Amino acid sequence: MAAPAKEISFQSSQVNGLNLHIMPTEKFKTTTIVVMIEQELSQAYVTKTALLAHVLKRATARFPDTRKLSEHLDMLYGAIFDIDVVKKGERQILQVYLEVPNEKYLSDSVPLLEQAFQFAGEVLVHPYLENHAFSEKYLNTEKESLRKRIESLIDDKMRYANQRITEEMFKDEPFSLLVYGRREDLAAIDGAGLYRYYQELLSRNPIDVFVVGDVESAQIQEYVKAHVKPERRQPVTLPPANAQKDVQQVREVVDRLDVSQGKLNIGCRTHVTYKDDDYPALQVCNGILGGFPHSKLFINVREKASLAYYAVSRLESHKGVLMMMSGIDVANYERAVSIMKEQLEQVKAGKISDEELNLTKATLTNQFRELLDSARMMIDFTYNGLLSGRKRLLTEMLQAFADTTLEDVKRVADKIQLDTIYLLRDRKESV
Amino acid sequence: MQTTTFQQVNETLYSEQLPNGLKVYLLPKMGFGKTYAVFTTRYGSIDSHFRISGGAEVHVPDGIAHFLEHKMFDKQDRDVFQDFSRNGASCNAFTTFNRTAYLFSCTDLVEENLNILLDFVQEPYFTEQSVEKEKGIIGQEIRMYDDNPDWKVYTSLLKAMYREHPVRIEIAGTVESIAKITKDTLYQCYETFYHPSNMILFVVGSFDPEAIMQAVRKNQAGKSFSSPAPKIERFFPQEPAALAQKQVENHLAVGLPKCMIGFKDAHVGLSGEALLRREMTTKLLLDILFGTSSALYQKLYEAGLITESFDYDYTCEQDYAYSLVGGDTPDPERLKEMIQQEISHYLQTGIAQDEFERSKRKKIGHFLRSLNSIEYIANQFTSYTFNGTDLFAVLPVLESITLQEVTERMGEHLRFDQMAVSIVRSAANRE
Repeated sequence: MAAPAKEISFQSSQVNGLNLHIMPTEKFKTTTIVVMIEQELSQAYVTKTALLAHVLKRATARFPDTRKLSEHLDMLYGAIFDIDVVKKGERQILQVYLEVPNEKYLSDSVPLLEQAFQFAGEVLVHPYLENHAFSEKYLNTEKESLRKRIESLIDDKMRYANQRITEEMFKDEPFSLLVYGRREDLAAIDGAGLYRYYQELLSRNPIDVFVVGDVESAQIQEYVKAHVKPERRQPVTLPPANAQKDVQQVREVVDRLDVSQGKLNIGCRTHVTYKDDDYPALQVCNGILGGFPHSKLFINVREKASLAYYAVSRLESHKGVLMMMSGIDVANYERAVSIMKEQLEQVKAGKISDEELNLTKATLTNQFRELLDSARMMIDFTYNGLLSGRKRLLTEMLQAFADTTLEDVKRVADKIQLDTIYLLRDRKESV
Repeated sequence: MQTTTFQQVNETLYSEQLPNGLKVYLLPKMGFGKTYAVFTTRYGSIDSHFRISGGAEVHVPDGIAHFLEHKMFDKQDRDVFQDFSRNGASCNAFTTFNRTAYLFSCTDLVEENLNILLDFVQEPYFTEQSVEKEKGIIGQEIRMYDDNPDWKVYTSLLKAMYREHPVRIEIAGTVESIAKITKDTLYQCYETFYHPSNMILFVVGSFDPEAIMQAVRKNQAGKSFSSPAPKIERFFPQEPAALAQKQVENHLAVGLPKCMIGFKDAHVGLSGEALLRREMTTKLLLDILFGTSSALYQKLYEAGLITESFDYDYTCEQDYAYSLVGGDTPDPERLKEMIQQEISHYLQTGIAQDEFERSKRKKIGHFLRSLNSIEYIANQFTSYTFNGTDLFAVLPVLESITLQEVTERMGEHLRFDQMAVSIVRSAANRE
C-alpha cells in the first residue's frame, strides 16, 4: 500500500498566462479540475460576477443548446460540471469545477481527460454568443434564476441569520455583500455589457487552474496549452481588501420571521487573518471556544445548560470574523447570550485547562490532516495561501498548532472584539 | 478473515464474523491518510414495536432510537467526546429510519480510537437526570427541523404516501413523544437492538487489516453478551398499497414555494440482488425522465418552473420504497401537471436507446466518483449489507440492466394513482 502523503504539494507553472497548479496522486478514481478567477468584492461587480456563473454554465459555441451540453457531460461518464461564486474575505471568486472519472476504471477507453480540458477551455473562452453578446434568451432566464437564488436564502434560517448579521456588522464595508449579488442590479445588465465585463475579467484578473488526480504534469500542461487559451493582457492590480475596523459600540439586532426556533449569532472581529503570524493561534483559540464537541460553547450552552442542540463558533479567515452561533428558545435569549459571552471572556482571561488546549490542538491537527484525502479541500487550502499572499505548507500549519502556547491563545483572544448580537426570532410579542 | 477483491474498481475488502455475531468489514484505501469507522446497529426510528422471542410485545415512544443515540455518549466516569479528541479523532452519530450509526474519523491511532468506539457503544449508562436534561437539547433539535422547509416538504410527503407504516413518523419524534422516554425504556431498547449480532463494524482508510482485525477480535473477546443472541421480531402494521392522501400543504417562511412529488411502490418485500437491481433500474429511469439532459428538465427550467434545487431520488428498503421528484417552484400546480404530462408521453412513446445508454454512462461515472468518499463507502456498504445487497455489486448490476427492464419498471412504478404531492408555501403567498 502506498504510504499516505503528508504534504499538499502542487507543482506550479505558467501556461497561456494562467497559473497552473498540478498535484498528481493515485488515491482518487477521478480527476478534478478547478479554475478560480479572482475579482474584488464590490457593489459594482458583485451581481455581474454572480450572473456570469449562471450564464457561462448554459451553453458554449460548440454546444449552443443547454440540453446538448448536458448530454455531452453525460457521455463523459457523468462529468461533474459546475460554476459558482464564493466569497473569501473581500474577494469574489468565480469558480469553474469539473470532475471526470479516470479512464483506467472504465471498461471502454475514451480520452476523457483531454475532452475535459477541451470542454473547460470552451466554457471559459468560447461561450455561446449572439452578435458579440451573451444571448438574451439565456441571460433573461438566468437573471430569474439568480433572483430566485437570492430570495431563497431565507429558506435556510442558519445561513439567513449569518448573512443578516454580516450585513449589520459590516454596513459600510464590501464584506457585507451577499456573494450572489443584489436583486436591484439585475434589470440594468444586458448581454453585450456582461460579455464586455467578462472579457475584461478573463483577460486581466488573476486566474488559477488546479488539477488533482492520477495525472502526468507534462501531459496536463500540454492539454492546457492546447485547449485553454484566453487572451491575456497586462494584469490588473486588485485594490487592497479586508481593512480592519475597531468596534465602537456593541449592537443588538433583532429580526422577525415565521420561525419556531430563535437563531442567535454573536459576531466578533478578530483582527487576525490568514496572512498573519497569529493565524494558527487564532484557529486554536476558536477551537477552544467553539470548534468541537469538547469546546466551551458545546459544554456550557448544550451539555450543562441544555439550552440548545448546537452551539459553535466558526472563523472567516480572510476578513477576520469569529461567529458564535446557536439555535435556542427565544425565552432563553438573555441566558444564552450571557453564557456565550462568558465563554469568550474565559478564553480571553486564559481560563483554559491544559486538557482543553491539548484536545484542541489534537483535533485541529486531525482536521487539517484530513484535507489530504479530498481534492477539493487541498485546492482550497492552497488557494487560501495564494489569495492571502501567505503560502503555508500543511506541515508548517501543523507545526504552528503544536507550538501554540496558552500565552499565544490569550494574546490573539485579547484582540477579539465583540461587535454585534443578532437574534432571528418569531413574530410573537416580547421576549 | 475473508478477502474479496473487486478488480474493476481496484479495492480489496476483508471481512469476518466474530463468535458473538458481530460482522466486521475492513477496506484499506491506497494512499489515504484518514480512517473512518462506523459501528452500526440495525435499529432505527421505525422499530418501535417489537418482541424478543419468548418475551412480551413492546411498544416504545416515537423518537426513542434517536434519543438512545444521544444518550450513548453519557458515561459515569468519562466524556466520550474528550476521549476521541485526545487522540485527534472527531466522532459523531446519526439515526435514520432503519439504523443507528456511531462513527469517528482520524489520521492517527486507529486502534485506540476503535477501542473507544466499541467500548462506548457497548457500555450503556443512563440516569433519570441525564434523560431529563436531554429532552431540552433534543427539543431544540426538533425545533430546528420544524423550521427547515426542505425537511418539512419531505416528511409531509412521507405522511401523505404512508397510512400506517412508521416511516411516516419523524425520526426524532415530537416534543410530546420524547417526554415519555425514561431510562428504563432506553435500557429495554438497548438490550434488544445493540447485541453484536445485530450490528456491523465497517472500517475504511489507512491501516493494516490484519492488525485491525486482531484488535477488534481482542476487544470483543473481552466482553460478554447474552448467548444465544436475542431473536428480534419487529412488527410493522399492514401498509395498504394506496396512498394516505393525494396532497398535503404546509406553511413556513420560504423564498419560493417547494413542491415534492412522490411515487409509492405498491409492491415491496424484495431483498438481495433483486432489491439492488430494482434500485438501479429505477434510478436510471428517473435520470432519463428528470435528469438535466432530459427534455422535461430543459422545458421546466426555460419556463422558470424549476431552479437548480430540482432533484429526484429513489429509496428502497425491504418494506417501503418510493421515488421523489421536485424542488423550488413558483407554481407547484403547473409543475405537477407538466411532470404528469411527460410521464404519460413516455409511457406512450417509450424510452430511446441513446437516452438509456447516456444515463447509464452517467450513473457509472457517478458511482466511481462516490468511491472517492470513504464516508460514502462505509455508510452505503452498511446499509446495503443490512438489506442483503452488496455495494460492490453496483457496477456489474448497472452494466447489465437493459432498456426493456427500465421500460417495464416505468409502467409499474410511475402510476398516477400512487402519486402524492407535498407543498410548502410562505404564509404570505398562501392561496
